[in-house]
Amino acid sequence: MSDVLLLITFSCWALACLLVLSSSTLKLARLLLAAGALMGVMIAVITLPGGMLPVQLPINVGGSPIIFALSPAALWLMGFGLAAALPACWLGTPGEGKGGWIAGAALSLLGALGVFGLQDSIAFLIAWEVMSLGGAVMILGGRNARGGGRRVLFMLSLLEVGSVALLFAFLLMGTQGINGFNFQDSAVSIAALAPWLQALVGVLLLIGFGAKLGILPFYEWFPAAYGAGSGVSGNLMSGVILNAAFFGLSRGLTHWLADTPVLFGLGVLLIVAGVMSAILAALYAFQEEDWRKLLSLSTAENAGIAVTALGAAALFRAQGQVELAGLAWVVAMLQLAAHTLAKGALFIAADGVFNATGSYLIAQRGLLRRSSWLFGIGAVFAGMSLAAMPPQAGFVSEWYIFQTLFQGFHLSSLAGRLVMALAGAGLALTVAISFATFVKVLGIGLQGQGDSQTTMIPRRISFATGILGMAVLALAVGMPWWLQTLDTASFQLFGMHVASAMHDGLILVPLTSSFAFISPTMLVIVCPLLALMAIALLIPARRFGVRRAAVWFGGLPRENHRVATTSLTFSNAMRTFYSFIYRPTLDVEHEHASQKYFLNRLHFNYRVAPIFGALLFLPITRLINSAAERLRALQSGHLNFYLALIGMILVLILILGSI
Amino acid sequence: MPLWTLFGLMRGTATTDWPFGQDDGQKNAIGMPSYHPEKCEAGCKECIAVCLPDALTLTHSDEARLQVDYGRCIACQMCVEVCPTGAMETSNDWAFAVHEREDLRWKQALRSPEAGELKSRVEGAFKRSLHIRHVDAGSCNGCESELQALNNPFYNLHRLGIFFTPSPRFADVLLVTGTVTYAMRDALLATYEAMPEPKWVMAMGTCAVSGGIARGGYSSGNGLEGVLPVDVYLPGCSPNPAAIIHALLMLLERAPQHVHNGQMDTSRHE
Amino acid sequence: MNGVLEIRLAPTELQSVCEALLRDGGRMQMAWAWFPPLGGIEVCYLATQSARQLFVLWRCNATDRTLPSLAGITPLLGWYEREITDLFGVRFEGHPEPHPLVLQEGVQPVKPPLDPTYPRDTAMPFKRQPARIPEVLGDDIQELPFGPVRADVVESAQFLFFYLGEHILHYQPRLFFKHRGMEKRFEGLEPALGVVLAERVSGVGSFAHALAYCQAVESACECTIPPRAAWLRTLLAEFERLYNHLHYFGHLADTTTLKVGSAEGKLLEEHVKQINARLCGSRFLRNLLRPGGLRHDVNVYTGLSEELQKLQHAISRYLGQLSRTSSYLDRLIDTGVLSRQVAFDQGATGPVERASGLDRDLRRDHPYAAYDAVELAVALREKGDANARAEVRAEEIGATIALLMRLLADVRDGAFCDSCPAIPNAEGIGWCESPRGALYYVVHLDEVGKLRRVKIKSPSFSNWRVFPYTVHDSNMMDYAINEASFGLTIAGCAR
Repeated sequence: MSDVLLLITFSCWALACLLVLSSSTLKLARLLLAAGALMGVMIAVITLPGGMLPVQLPINVGGSPIIFALSPAALWLMGFGLAAALPACWLGTPGEGKGGWIAGAALSLLGALGVFGLQDSIAFLIAWEVMSLGGAVMILGGRNARGGGRRVLFMLSLLEVGSVALLFAFLLMGTQGINGFNFQDSAVSIAALAPWLQALVGVLLLIGFGAKLGILPFYEWFPAAYGAGSGVSGNLMSGVILNAAFFGLSRGLTHWLADTPVLFGLGVLLIVAGVMSAILAALYAFQEEDWRKLLSLSTAENAGIAVTALGAAALFRAQGQVELAGLAWVVAMLQLAAHTLAKGALFIAADGVFNATGSYLIAQRGLLRRSSWLFGIGAVFAGMSLAAMPPQAGFVSEWYIFQTLFQGFHLSSLAGRLVMALAGAGLALTVAISFATFVKVLGIGLQGQGDSQTTMIPRRISFATGILGMAVLALAVGMPWWLQTLDTASFQLFGMHVASAMHDGLILVPLTSSFAFISPTMLVIVCPLLALMAIALLIPARRFGVRRAAVWFGGLPRENHRVATTSLTFSNAMRTFYSFIYRPTLDVEHEHASQKYFLNRLHFNYRVAPIFGALLFLPITRLINSAAERLRALQSGHLNFYLALIGMILVLILILGSI
Repeated sequence: MPLWTLFGLMRGTATTDWPFGQDDGQKNAIGMPSYHPEKCEAGCKECIAVCLPDALTLTHSDEARLQVDYGRCIACQMCVEVCPTGAMETSNDWAFAVHEREDLRWKQALRSPEAGELKSRVEGAFKRSLHIRHVDAGSCNGCESELQALNNPFYNLHRLGIFFTPSPRFADVLLVTGTVTYAMRDALLATYEAMPEPKWVMAMGTCAVSGGIARGGYSSGNGLEGVLPVDVYLPGCSPNPAAIIHALLMLLERAPQHVHNGQMDTSRHE
Repeated sequence: MNGVLEIRLAPTELQSVCEALLRDGGRMQMAWAWFPPLGGIEVCYLATQSARQLFVLWRCNATDRTLPSLAGITPLLGWYEREITDLFGVRFEGHPEPHPLVLQEGVQPVKPPLDPTYPRDTAMPFKRQPARIPEVLGDDIQELPFGPVRADVVESAQFLFFYLGEHILHYQPRLFFKHRGMEKRFEGLEPALGVVLAERVSGVGSFAHALAYCQAVESACECTIPPRAAWLRTLLAEFERLYNHLHYFGHLADTTTLKVGSAEGKLLEEHVKQINARLCGSRFLRNLLRPGGLRHDVNVYTGLSEELQKLQHAISRYLGQLSRTSSYLDRLIDTGVLSRQVAFDQGATGPVERASGLDRDLRRDHPYAAYDAVELAVALREKGDANARAEVRAEEIGATIALLMRLLADVRDGAFCDSCPAIPNAEGIGWCESPRGALYYVVHLDEVGKLRRVKIKSPSFSNWRVFPYTVHDSNMMDYAINEASFGLTIAGCAR
């Protein structure tokens, strides 16, 4: 059954990609895209918790057959990713370039499907590249910004660094014979490597998948690339594509490198990288003024948190605490599930903002008061989840992560305990900053009085945002039941039924109820009842008549929209406090008539400086440019020179062949 | 770092007990000139010629030659100086707060008003705790200076349970000074609108009562007449802090009105 | 006009003469316009060359109601020219800020309000328009229009802040909500009655305004005052300075949240106001002056010297305590720095200019009343920050009390008033160093000896013009302290 659905999914997306060539079939292409996503969700629903049986594909690469199998973890991540992508595919990109966007989206989804399921490393790499390329086509095809080309190039170049790292990792695994290219035997291949090579494989996997996840310094392409695309592109890139990358990393650490002696070191590395990325990404997210850029950096932050949880799983496993390792891993899955749905909702909301105001700027335009209540609910639930507010799913996963890190005292080594404690502190900072960030997004991005140029958010976008937002709440409230689906996966990976130990009836516990507990399921029932009490107190007050008066502002009406808090003034205090990281620059230009006493115009500009841009990427770019300058000698244009080169290569091949 | 707290404690109490004690701090302070119609000469218009705010006009009633409107009087004492017979006399009557505008116009007193005949205007809850929002609608800043003096250690308005608040939303009384210039009129009305009920209005200073010396013209108004409903009128240029305290206590029905028909109650004369 | 060096200029000569004056080290003081009885509009400019020399007056006919602007040469004249445009309809070509100042945006008078033929007691039609502000580009900047009804018991004015969190990028005050048109109310009055009006232009400067007005009329009508009147005028003027400076410290301590310091300052101010009442019946020293002397004698009661002595002890202890409070000093030092150049260009006056290194005091440089017989110590500071402004006033308090003691030890007896009959078509300038700075009154009488035009230049008008230049690029927390350190009134500025 699932095979058939798989085939339908694949063909829907492939067909969608082809149908964009004619403009009359665009709508059909978009619907096919959405249908494929729907099929993908159904695959996940049907085959969890057991996982899909392997399917042999009719293609051969390098002589060995390609197997396609979706493990329960892959199904979980893919299911949530496609659930968030479904409304995005159905909506399509606002503005022009709908065809290009659909083609890019189809390519990305096909690539992601391959990344989730392909069990051969070469086919995996091809799918990985198709996924990256699809992302680029999505952004450029959507034609949302001028100068998008440069930013997409930046994104692709960083992703290429990751791909090259993955290539090297797979080559190292493949040195153990032809079966090394088959993922199902990778654990064996790696076990046969020397420890330092195992560590190298781990680091390369981190770099490779980290380029997509946004581990430092790779998160720097996020704002540039996301800022060149539309909201739905962000939805896909932060949802299903991010999940695919994480799945790869997770499989690498929990399956391939699980029994190696370097697991402890890798765990520490993952925790450090994850926490640092999360902190930096959160800080820069808070300073952004563009919906897409802010949400993209928030994605990097959440990915960093998930990577930290994965690192904790590795750490626990290396010290023999298998059950805690399972807990940490399940928590990472939950984090990404919650994040996918909530981020997807907000990216769609960003598109709604674009439709209503013509730009993606976070400014008080009074959107909430002009749009349907479904939009408000969806956006607020999603924002709450990302800000880790109860009873949302984001709160559940954050709470779980802290509980996991707090249980670091079970570790036997001092280094491990220290790392866990510091990670807890770092994540606390991240959570606080992300809370402020989402207050900014919802408070400044959606509220206010607005002006006459703002229109309503389109109803289909309101609907999509509302549905996804409520799905976030459903995820949190139904967590005791959702956890069952990860049971088999945790058993396969860790040998224990961790997921069923994570809840006790309707309350959620970190393996034992004596440590701590929460219950969104019960909160959702109790809180409205408490609210009824407050409402009951208001009823007797209705006997006082209500007179509405204008907002008091010193006696005169406010004259323009300038009085409202802006995105920058909201983040100003943090910008000053963390100026050693941001190194902000303020630029004020005064234009005077005759003398400097009489001001005509004041022009204001500000910037925060990204850390790695100047430190890392600029020098590397300069290095490559200078190397390219030297290598230009090869393009001398002389035929004799080329013939000599060809001759030298032939000689080299003959020599090497005879060795 | 000097210890200001110790400094303050060692200075002791500087607050007067007034109105429960004797020292109102206004020794020798001049108030509204009192009018003695029996001394007024027929055909004399000296005081009318020097009265800039037109508080003195001729009337042809049997009671008196002059119509004296204390609501317009700025206590400049010019009429006292030019009066040949002493019909206008300097006095220390500065506690001139009244509820009705008519009580500021001099009339022969027929009978003293019955106490308790007025229905209470103020709910009990406000009598011991009142919050005032002050609006300057175009004054000369003399009234502001005296209002600011109310919170100095000598008068210490807080001991009477009366406070100035920064926002009209918290205010019970709107205290207006100034003539209501063209530019402040809408701001003043907005302030009144922004106050929740129950609310009262007090016109402090001759400028707010009738426009004072700056009334009319191209930019000044005529005080609060026709702008807001007024509960207490306190003329004076400017009324001293003891007069303001008396007016506020009168609003709260904790002190009696001293002036009726333009005349100070004789029982009160010091 | 008596008492000045008068020069008649053609409009084309104005700019070159102004530049020559500045090159020679002179200073412009003010400009005003009036409608002479013979017709047309005349614009007059007052300047000073150096201390203890006569003022210089330039008179210029505004042909076709247009004159070249001098604001590019002397920035301080910018406000005077805008006021003349608003109230007289004279256009100044080349003015860098040709926007309404005194009249609000949206007002439509049938003719310029100070035109003598303006219909009497007719309000101007007014429909509020948005304030005129410089173009501020940048989506991130927030605007705060603070006022006109402000928190606490203060005068009404609106302050426009363009700011980002703490940092103020640009600041613009709108000070003329309280404009009552006082100058117009003088028209047609007897000079002897005008003093009642002059006293009520600014309450806390009542005596200074009345004094400057009376001196203007006395100068115009060429009358002298008896020695006792001069002596009394000096005494009372210093009492006004004393209570104003004490109020200043009470208010400054309040903004730096020094509660006991604020209470003490205001209590000392109350003591002086009660002395005022005991001396003359009015806490603001009103109803005292008339052209020719005083309206009635002032009984300097026995015990006043002792009372002053006790007050001096209390004041020295208070000011000494303040100068040792580091939290108070921290908030004042380096706050709201006014450079000497800006103070000069924009015409700062009084303690504000003396705190920025400009050594001018009308009591010493152009003595009036009994000041020519008195040696006066003028306080001077260079730094120009809030602390300097406070220190200047503290020194002035000391000098004032010393002067009062000397005056009380040297009583002048005799008549307190001389007659001062009005002379038709007379003109005169009177001045006074009020607690806030140089105050000028110019009086033009008409052909029957009544007032035709009275021009009031109050020190707050000059200093409010200077104030924004200390606020640009400062921060919000310092704003209230900076404003308190200037110690200005709005009624004096707006009239």
